[in-house]
Amino acid sequence: MAPSPAALSGPTSKERKYDRQLRLWAATGQQALEDARVLLVNSDGPLGSSSTGVTGVAGVEALKNLVLPGIGGFTIVDPAIVTEADLGVNFFLEEASLGKSRADETCRLLRELNPDVQGYSYSKSITELLGDAEFLPRHKLVIISGPTKRSTLETLCETAQKLEIPVLYIHSVGFCATFSLQLPSEFPIVETHPDPESTQDLRLLHPWPELANAVASLGNLESMDDHQHGHVPYLLLLLRFLEQWKQSHEGNMPSNYKEKTEFREFVRSNARTENAEGGEENFDEAIAAVVKTISPFSLRSSIREIFEMPQCHQLTTTSADFWIIASAIRTFYNTHNVLPLPGSLPDMKAKSADYVALQNVYKKKARHDVEEVTATIRQLESDLGRTTLILDREVEVFCKNAAHIKVVRGRAIPQISNNSDAALLKAVRSGLQMPESLASLFIACQILDAVVDEIQSNPALHDGRSVDDDGLWIAHRDRILTSLTLGDPAAIDESALEGIDDAIQEVRRAEGGELHNIASLAGGLVAQESLKVLTRQYVPLDNTCVFDGARSRSEMYRF
Amino acid sequence: MATSVAVPLNEKGRWNHLYKVLSKPGPFSDEDWVPGEETINALESSKILGAGGLGCEILKNLALSGFKDIHVIDMGIADTIDISNLNRQFLFRQADIGKPKAEVAAAFVEKRVKGVKITPYVGKIQDKDEDYYMQFKIVICGLDSIEARRWINSTLIGMVDLENPESLKPLVDGGTEGRPPHSNYLNIQKLIVYTGFKGQARVILPTLSSCIECQLDMHAPRPAVPLCTIATIPRQPQHCIEWAHQIAWQEKRKDDTFDSDDMEHISWVYNTALERAQQFHIHGVTFQMTQGVVKNIIPAIASTNAVIAASTTSEVLKIATSCNPYLENYMMYAGEEGVYTYTFEAEKKADCPVCGNLARNMDVDPNMTLGDFIDSLGEKAEAQLKKPSMRTEEKTLYQRFPPQLEEHTRPNLVLKLSELLENGQEIAVSDPAYTIDFRFRLHFR
Amino acid sequence: MLKIWSMKQQQQQAENAEGAAGKKKKKVTAAQLRVQRDLQELTLGETMKMSFPNPDDILNFTLTIEPDEGMYKGGVFNFSFTVNQNFPHDPPKVKCTQKIYHPNIDLEGNVCLNILREDWKPVLNLNAVIVGMQFLFLEPNASDPLNKEAADDLRLNRDAFKRNVRTSMAGGSVRNVSFERVLR
Repeated sequence: MAPSPAALSGPTSKERKYDRQLRLWAATGQQALEDARVLLVNSDGPLGSSSTGVTGVAGVEALKNLVLPGIGGFTIVDPAIVTEADLGVNFFLEEASLGKSRADETCRLLRELNPDVQGYSYSKSITELLGDAEFLPRHKLVIISGPTKRSTLETLCETAQKLEIPVLYIHSVGFCATFSLQLPSEFPIVETHPDPESTQDLRLLHPWPELANAVASLGNLESMDDHQHGHVPYLLLLLRFLEQWKQSHEGNMPSNYKEKTEFREFVRSNARTENAEGGEENFDEAIAAVVKTISPFSLRSSIREIFEMPQCHQLTTTSADFWIIASAIRTFYNTHNVLPLPGSLPDMKAKSADYVALQNVYKKKARHDVEEVTATIRQLESDLGRTTLILDREVEVFCKNAAHIKVVRGRAIPQISNNSDAALLKAVRSGLQMPESLASLFIACQILDAVVDEIQSNPALHDGRSVDDDGLWIAHRDRILTSLTLGDPAAIDESALEGIDDAIQEVRRAEGGELHNIASLAGGLVAQESLKVLTRQYVPLDNTCVFDGARSRSEMYRF
Repeated sequence: MATSVAVPLNEKGRWNHLYKVLSKPGPFSDEDWVPGEETINALESSKILGAGGLGCEILKNLALSGFKDIHVIDMGIADTIDISNLNRQFLFRQADIGKPKAEVAAAFVEKRVKGVKITPYVGKIQDKDEDYYMQFKIVICGLDSIEARRWINSTLIGMVDLENPESLKPLVDGGTEGRPPHSNYLNIQKLIVYTGFKGQARVILPTLSSCIECQLDMHAPRPAVPLCTIATIPRQPQHCIEWAHQIAWQEKRKDDTFDSDDMEHISWVYNTALERAQQFHIHGVTFQMTQGVVKNIIPAIASTNAVIAASTTSEVLKIATSCNPYLENYMMYAGEEGVYTYTFEAEKKADCPVCGNLARNMDVDPNMTLGDFIDSLGEKAEAQLKKPSMRTEEKTLYQRFPPQLEEHTRPNLVLKLSELLENGQEIAVSDPAYTIDFRFRLHFR
Repeated sequence: MLKIWSMKQQQQQAENAEGAAGKKKKKVTAAQLRVQRDLQELTLGETMKMSFPNPDDILNFTLTIEPDEGMYKGGVFNFSFTVNQNFPHDPPKVKCTQKIYHPNIDLEGNVCLNILREDWKPVLNLNAVIVGMQFLFLEPNASDPLNKEAADDLRLNRDAFKRNVRTSMAGGSVRNVSFERVLR
């Protein structure tokens, strides 16, 4: 046999290098990564007399995990100079780096990881760089290593928010790591990659004419020989028995658990057992599928919410493609009371030709649905006067994933202060109510932020004070707790307070320093969330994650 | 314990950040723990063994956790660097392709982190014996196969010797192959089946806590397609690939040993699968899928490796220094939807074939015949093994059934134990009267 | 670390076990132990025999089936069993060492038996496999074949199939494929 040209050349060297990740996010995800440049703001001045500043290892480790899969580029902003202590915790520095710019040195050693990735470094403060209005818009994502001055953090987050650039704010202190993700106020995701088991949509209760024909053309099951009988795809078996059930149940389908159980027994009673195997696999499959597949289509509330969002109704010439397609799919739903058919068919016992024929019935219907949605889209585009048409491929992917799309409503990086949003404070307080809550570590990091902010904002006043200054910690603990409880100490119970004090002790133990393991772990998590944000695939954190290395566990919070 | 130089504390030196944490108690560290110099000395003198495909991350993390004497072995399915490693195994470069992984990794980390000694061994963990493993304080594994995990697990369990505290080697295991525990076991609704963003970290104290063998049932088995489907009624592109790989190859290229790294072999399978797919009107056979099926490729990314490797090395640091409690004993991780972890204590199984079945010592007369020994087992009050079969690792001593083996081993009954065994050797005994098996270490009187 | 050892000592005191060991020797593996037990619990009957090329290696052996009823009566069929160290988590690998005409065994000797592949579970034992193998000769299954031609014959013309079985067992050819003589 003559090998085809594709096989002779095999995959390209890039496909081979990225093989293990392309299997997760495919060429489209990879392209999105390659189009992205990530900004790491890795320190913003010293933390106090005993420290030269944030070591920024979590941020550098996160970049490592982004450079390896091949983002387009990265920028490191870090005014710090490499010290001896950096070498004990940061792998992307070496002996020769001592005394040099940490931004330049980490950038240089990170670039070695992947020649496809561009790296830039700035040995100055971010405040200075933000003076150039074109600086931030070059980036698709900002990662900030905390603790940092509140004023810097706020300016950065606000500017990024206006530009709709996502921000990740990280703390990695001793055995504790926490980070929050700020997404634009609306962040739609089409390819959420749900569990394939949960995405099956077979429409057994409302077969369309071609599917109903496929059942009808089966003929009489009883007259089949054992071989044929044992190879009828279970889907058609279920459809046939549902028809029979309907006839004997006043036109109703099995709707509750009891009826489904009865229906299952009805299916079972039709299996042949007088054969060599003592049963039939296709019937076994049918019986196992009853509970999962025999339920009417219902629109998930999260999709209904998306349909009801104003962006889906008030389309403009500049609406994002997502909303144009969503609106067309809403029209489809309003007409048919179902979403476009995804069109995939699970594997099942069947003869090859029968399976392929059935698969084609599903594929054809899916294609038909896509065409209908596309027609609506083209009409909308023409009504709105849009000249750049949405790609067919995009519509197809959207239709396939329609039941699982998601719109994350981005929230600001949470900060506890006396002008914090009441809803945020409530969320943190309720997070603290859980036994052994890790929200306490989030609070300890908030106090650390406040301590550092005070030292950095008034260098003259706090000259000589360390980041572990007792007085500052006591003062800011009280201040944060007062803000959190809105002045009502009873709002937090005794065990939550104990938890907070334990967390403070564990965080203070490190005096603002990082442990490599925890920084590396945090860098892994932050990179993972960055990949999701940049590829717009999978479901990103909403919005805060806390990892407790002392007790080896993590929690997610919506603050 | 090796001698070590006292380290001045709170020195503004290289290990400043680490030593701060090791020099102060935390709210969760043990009350009896003595922070400071003693702890730091213990850390520096602990010899650690790292193994498996997560080796790059593990070596980096151990070196930056203050360990000074690190050994590395068995860095994945292949010993040499492949281009597809480069998207996550960050110590390797394009120019390193084809070189031995352990050597390249060890040299890189040694050069980067001053004062650390890394000893590579290029080969499999199974190449080494108990004497080799005995030298380490802790063994940390990021192995990619269940077989290798089970091997190291049973080896470390077999090494535990009551007279020697040093013989108990904590095993810290990390994996990213993403076969999550069964949902019905953990009773968690939100388990997602595909991989790439999944992993687990666990701490095993051999003979004391739940071991890898105890936990095997928790992991979902590899799904298999019936051979007859592949042979006669293919429906999916994967079925066509399996056919080309398992059936057509055997038939048409009997004399070539299939090598999944040989481009020509993969291309042949791809083309053969494609032809079969066309014949059955099945769509979707691609080169990438062909490789995925025949090499059983599991997606892998740098970030998941980093998370899992760091959670295991963090446990190693905690075990070696006692600066915080170690994981008891399992943390699973899933990152498809936000960041999800679940930490729980897996149970030690009383009937575990490895840790639930430790060898007991038994003193025997070396001049006794095997037959008399078997009779004596039947008389022992605590055992009462009436119809035992028994063997050593290399020898079938006596097997009651099937008849062909019974005939073969019957002559052993009249031999003396000293002619069949070495002093201190372990035998395994099965008896139909018991649902469990027994292991005895026979010591000659 | 010290704490872990004191846990061990406590556990030991509680169990009041005997004292320690000498030099370590290789341990019997979990797979060996399980096969030892499985072998002891076999019921072979008149129609089956096993042979062990190396009696000390119980993980590799041959099973001979001599059906005393059904269409394959009078034949002597050999199967090689290879059990790996992952047993019982992996099923044993079984192959027919002769070229035979059977709907569920292909010309290379691959055997299609659900418990050897997709339905294998660690709780199954070698006896279950051997019973399944025996069953294949009593009730060849045309529904899910490995040898499609043989299956078609069985399904469409049972008498022709029986004749083909006899011919093939005698070392003759069926549809231009010659088979090995397997008669006793």
